[in-house]
Amino acid sequence: MHRKWGLAAAAAAAALVLAACGGSGGGSASSSSAGGGGGEGDCPGADAFCIGLVTDTGKVDDKSFNQSAWEGALEAAQASGGYAKYIETVDPKDYATNIGQFVSGGYDVIVTVGFLMGEATVAAAKENTGIQFIGVDQFQAEEIPNLTGLVFPEDKAGYAAGYLAGLMTKTNKIGAVLGTDTVPPVKLFGEGYKAGALAANPSASVTLVYHEPNNAFTDPEWGAAEAKKQLEQDHDIIFGAGGLTGNGALIEIAKAPGAGETIFCIGVDTDQFFTVPEAAKCLLTSAEKKLTLGTKDLVLMAKDGKAPGGNYFGLTGLAPYHDTEAAVPEDVKAKVAEVIAGLDAGTIATNVTLG
Amino acid sequence: MSAKWAYALAILISVTIVIFYVLDPTKTTSVVSFSLRYAVPLILAAMVGIMCERSGVINIGIEGQMLMSAFAGFFGAALTGSLLLGTMIGVGTGMIMGAMLATGAVTWKMDQIIAGTIINILAAGLTSFFYAQGFTLPGITPTLRIPVLADIPLIGPVFFDNGLFTYAAIVSALLLWVLLFKTVWGLRTRSVGEKPSASDTSGIGVQKMRFWNVTIAGGLAGLAGAYLALEAAGTFERGLTAGRGFTALAIMIFGAWNPIGALAAAIFFGLTQGVASQLQTDAVVDIPPQFVNMLPYILTIVLLAIVSGRIKPPAAVGRPYEKD
Amino acid sequence: MSTIDPAQTDLGITDPDPRRSGPLDRVPAIVIPVVSVLLAFAIGGILIWLQGVNPLFAYQVLFRDALGSVDGLERTMEKSTPLILTGLAVVVGLRAGLFNIGAQGQLLMGAIGAAWAGYNFTLPPLVHLPFCLIFGILCGAAWGSIAGALRAYRSVSEVITTIMLNSIAIALVDYLASRPLKEPDQPLSRTPLIAESAALPYIGPIPSGFILALVVAVFFGWLLVRTTQGFRFNTVGMNPGAARYAGISVKGTILLAMAVSGGLAGLGGAVETLGITGRFEPAFNIGLGFDGITIALLARANPLATIPAALLVGTLRAGSSSLQFQTGIEPEVVSVILALTLLFVSAPIVGKLLFRNRSIKQTTVTKGWGA
Repeated sequence: MHRKWGLAAAAAAAALVLAACGGSGGGSASSSSAGGGGGEGDCPGADAFCIGLVTDTGKVDDKSFNQSAWEGALEAAQASGGYAKYIETVDPKDYATNIGQFVSGGYDVIVTVGFLMGEATVAAAKENTGIQFIGVDQFQAEEIPNLTGLVFPEDKAGYAAGYLAGLMTKTNKIGAVLGTDTVPPVKLFGEGYKAGALAANPSASVTLVYHEPNNAFTDPEWGAAEAKKQLEQDHDIIFGAGGLTGNGALIEIAKAPGAGETIFCIGVDTDQFFTVPEAAKCLLTSAEKKLTLGTKDLVLMAKDGKAPGGNYFGLTGLAPYHDTEAAVPEDVKAKVAEVIAGLDAGTIATNVTLG
Repeated sequence: MSAKWAYALAILISVTIVIFYVLDPTKTTSVVSFSLRYAVPLILAAMVGIMCERSGVINIGIEGQMLMSAFAGFFGAALTGSLLLGTMIGVGTGMIMGAMLATGAVTWKMDQIIAGTIINILAAGLTSFFYAQGFTLPGITPTLRIPVLADIPLIGPVFFDNGLFTYAAIVSALLLWVLLFKTVWGLRTRSVGEKPSASDTSGIGVQKMRFWNVTIAGGLAGLAGAYLALEAAGTFERGLTAGRGFTALAIMIFGAWNPIGALAAAIFFGLTQGVASQLQTDAVVDIPPQFVNMLPYILTIVLLAIVSGRIKPPAAVGRPYEKD
Repeated sequence: MSTIDPAQTDLGITDPDPRRSGPLDRVPAIVIPVVSVLLAFAIGGILIWLQGVNPLFAYQVLFRDALGSVDGLERTMEKSTPLILTGLAVVVGLRAGLFNIGAQGQLLMGAIGAAWAGYNFTLPPLVHLPFCLIFGILCGAAWGSIAGALRAYRSVSEVITTIMLNSIAIALVDYLASRPLKEPDQPLSRTPLIAESAALPYIGPIPSGFILALVVAVFFGWLLVRTTQGFRFNTVGMNPGAARYAGISVKGTILLAMAVSGGLAGLGGAVETLGITGRFEPAFNIGLGFDGITIALLARANPLATIPAALLVGTLRAGSSSLQFQTGIEPEVVSVILALTLLFVSAPIVGKLLFRNRSIKQTTVTKGWGA
């Protein structure tokens, strides 16, 4: 009997120690509020400027769009001396409930992240006309005065990245490891990339591979294995676009011999030089959608009652070259800059549509 | 799977691979390499299942054991600055998780599937709760190219130019086969899993045998977790194991609770995955990618339906041992 | 277990040890789950406290949000509904000696089937709603039957096939929602909204799907324990050899059990579509089938016990967003509490703490791989 309990106690103790070890690293990242400490989550008072953010099913430290939007909300809170708080959605059926927490908490601006939350946001905005809503990645079909959709032309960012890849490839084979094609922004990135690459280099072959919809954005090991496969098939520039799955591809490419010299990777969404430092060696650039900036700007506009309503197009572009700066010839840089300018001005069309 | 069918299938697949190799060596080699790489965690996890079930204990908690070990291994490596220490922490965590299952399923005679399910939920909850950003591995895991052998076409680059974990997985399968079928330990383990009362009468400590086998198997799950975090993905993320622990159970059954069979089954499963994504990228015919992605699973079911009937689990698996 | 012991056929919370009798001995059956839940909350409280939050305050917030208002109660009921049904699905399988890991896939098929039946037809409400529910059940049952048939007639383990069928179902519904059944003129992968006539109504604040789930649970509580069919399931589950000897068709029973199990999971999906979401979208319904396994194990394969088990999980889930909003505690703490509850309910820990001198025999809910 004693022995049994001893073992159980040992196992339990080990689990607790393990938990505590993890916790020592996690403490700061998991603190949820920027302004006031723990306690009640309601907006502290009528004078305070309160920003609430509801994530899509995911976490604010997902190294992807939830995190970027949350950083934007935080920056806006700092710039305005306001207060920001988030709720992480676990079940997509809770979108309305989670938005409702901020509504009844007296928040001034509510940011909802992800195109899946579009409908719940529209419903909440119509019901609460006194609150400003910002829907990240949510295209607005009808204009609601207190709701602004922050949308991005992902195909343009993908196009610019593909253009760069098309100019940089030596093997004339470029690849991409992507999340599922059933998510529109991912498909826009992927197809834009292909279009851009072919525009720069019509003789190149472009390989796109999409993960199956199950675990599409949370399978870095698959992303890495696919990236390796493409490398072995002589692809020398690979675009990783699909949350953690794409990140797995980037990390794998950075391990390849010749990474940063002849082999390159391209990140997505944010400047992944910072979010995936493991990939810095091979990271040519990232096809950015400036989510943090867009969220911050819109929140601050909403504070002054100047949020435009309808759709607000955020900026896209390519992140700085960082460590691979020297590897990119000047004429390539110039050409890519020209294409980005053309895309922004509307003189270059990506011709990508979602079928 | 019955031996005759297994050999026939293996020969058929090998011939197909060789034909494709002749047509396009680069592509074929890369697809086969992908299969092995995809198979590594499945092989290790299937060995966990085989070791436990051959001893009479169902381990449905492999997924959680791997996840917890991947978590501990990654943060261990990041905090100590040593990949080796990280791997050891991962393996150690796996053994602790193994001991937890053993305590529940063997010592306490709990329902074994409940005990494993608890581990899965607990691991998913704890690793997500304590996840933290901003840690990176101190380096990349070394690869080992075995001279001469690595120069063999197709087989060389696939099997003899890999990371250490890959060799560990293959060796563990071969070793477990030898241990199970050629040693006293193996004989005892199998008897404990088939007919515990008889082993008890002949003086084998059923409980002790089961407890330690399940605990040591946990170490293999730890190795699989460490592989995922330290070598394959190069990072830890929530839900990193992505259901591989459950797929491994299927592979264990597919391989008829035989380490070599499971090794082959895992590589076969990896191959179907590799072919599926290759079909998608080559876009030979325009089929929706979802159908291509279903292919490995449908193929597995069809294969099992054809060769069915001869796969029998260890007789006493799932039942806590009670002295009469 | 070589003979059929009538006391053993009731796998529920009631103590299976026939040697024990008397009024006092009935106490553990109620006390142990309650003490287990309290213990799990106590340890969960330590986790919360480590994050710098007063656990009592955190739990107060959680329960106030989930149970303290009409809105909260409604949400708790909504969340518990599919859990009762998928829990029952797994219970029916376990009774017949089958471990149905595929409730997730069966639920998805039921959910998308009900959605299609809901938007594709124009029927009077009294016909349309039952039609959609039945169609959802049939879709789930058909999906479950694949594993059942393979198990019955080709001896392929249902564990392996249901794992594979889950992956296939996920890809299949994704294809259906993004191509043939997609709502036109919009970019998302989802079906059109169901017709009004197909929607499950609310009776006051009570979702009628919840009532339906309760009725189904009670029905199966009766069916599995009191009827010949239930006896067949149990006998095949306990001892296929004896079942064959008693003239029960083992193959037929296995096929039927998997079809019923799949049908229950399919009903869970249909109720979600018709009662909550109003359409099928691949992102919905994630994890509900897997939760069913947890519920069935918490309920120790007792159909009626799936109700309190599902309510516990539903309450925790419904309250978790408020928990994060008010205290910043991450919703995953709920999973930890759940795992600990399952541990204390199933392991002999609580029993030994409370009743030192009694040997409490462990009940085995599940079987091996159905050899």
